[in-house]
Amino acid sequence: MKSLYVETNTILHRLSPRTKLVALAAISVALFFTRSYVLLAAAAAAGAFSYLLVGLPIREALRRLLPVFATIAAVAVFNFAFNSAEEAIVMLLRLTTLMLFAATVTATVTVASFIDEITALARPLERLGVVRAADIGLAAGLVIRFVPEILDRYAAIREAHAARGLKVGFLTVLAPLIILTLRDADNIAAAIDARGFRRQ
Amino acid sequence: MSTRNLVLSSLFAAIIVALGMLPPIYLAVFAVPITAQSLGVMMAGTVLGAYRAGAAVLIVLVLVAIGLPVLSGGRGGLAVFAGPTAGFLLGWLVGAVVTGYLSEKLVNAEQSGLVQTVSFFLACFIGGVVTVYFFGILYLGIVGGTGISKAFLGSLAFVPGDIFKAVIAALAGRAVMAGYPLLPQRA
Repeated sequence: MKSLYVETNTILHRLSPRTKLVALAAISVALFFTRSYVLLAAAAAAGAFSYLLVGLPIREALRRLLPVFATIAAVAVFNFAFNSAEEAIVMLLRLTTLMLFAATVTATVTVASFIDEITALARPLERLGVVRAADIGLAAGLVIRFVPEILDRYAAIREAHAARGLKVGFLTVLAPLIILTLRDADNIAAAIDARGFRRQ
Repeated sequence: MSTRNLVLSSLFAAIIVALGMLPPIYLAVFAVPITAQSLGVMMAGTVLGAYRAGAAVLIVLVLVAIGLPVLSGGRGGLAVFAGPTAGFLLGWLVGAVVTGYLSEKLVNAEQSGLVQTVSFFLACFIGGVVTVYFFGILYLGIVGGTGISKAFLGSLAFVPGDIFKAVIAALAGRAVMAGYPLLPQRA
């Protein structure tokens, strides 16, 4: 699984991840304090500029944002038809700006530094005994490790159906897929504990 | 959280991610593609119970936030949370917990298969449909600027597909409970 991080070296990459995340949070709040077309359009232009600065090829840059922009545009059209044009434009500019800045942060922060930031954020919770901050990285690693295996298993179950002349349905595949996958949990947990990854 | 529960939640998170990567299955009845990811959220509740299901969905959302394309159609990254439908993603988290909680309360091993399936369906409907839409519509109405009542009407078109998923998730939950019960053993 390839992350959405873009490997170039721009000013935006060199900013600290925390600065970028705090800035994104500040922008997302600030956008909801104004309804001025001029301010919002300027913000959207700034967002587009920062996203272009990341250095993605234009086609890839657009392709990445298309699904999110499609939902924003659909809701804008809905607003235009059922509410007011003003509401539609304000909402379109706000969310598009937010999308562009968010995509910029995603493209310039590596998965590892993201996990570091989330771990740091979870430290206070750790003191309360709610979670163990280091588990976040472990869980992320486990998911990335097991997704391909689950896809292989899904294909194998489909083939087993085909070989027996059975119709492949949602249900006949899902139950064995879940049981086969979760049955590994004990062994994986034992392996993690044996290696002392969680220091217990 | 014990290592075993952490692994179970992570594995189910991996199942939810994998369900988003499969080609959508077309249903003859509706002739619309069903993306299986929200189905995975309901099944997390019916299979794992409240605590571990919540952890599984939280792991998926963290993976989205850190920039991995784990949502259906290869979507991912913080930009996903900028969309007007981001409330549905938050709804997944609460919905999985509610589905899990109700499954734990309503279903036990002594009941007949039919009672179990119907109870699982109720859990999936209240957790995976009502709860998820509550958050999704609230967010769409406020952040998307459509107003709550119009967001509600606009979302209705997607409800039949999700009720169908609740049926599938209930049947799958019951099948997994018969084959490899995890629900009764609490965290």
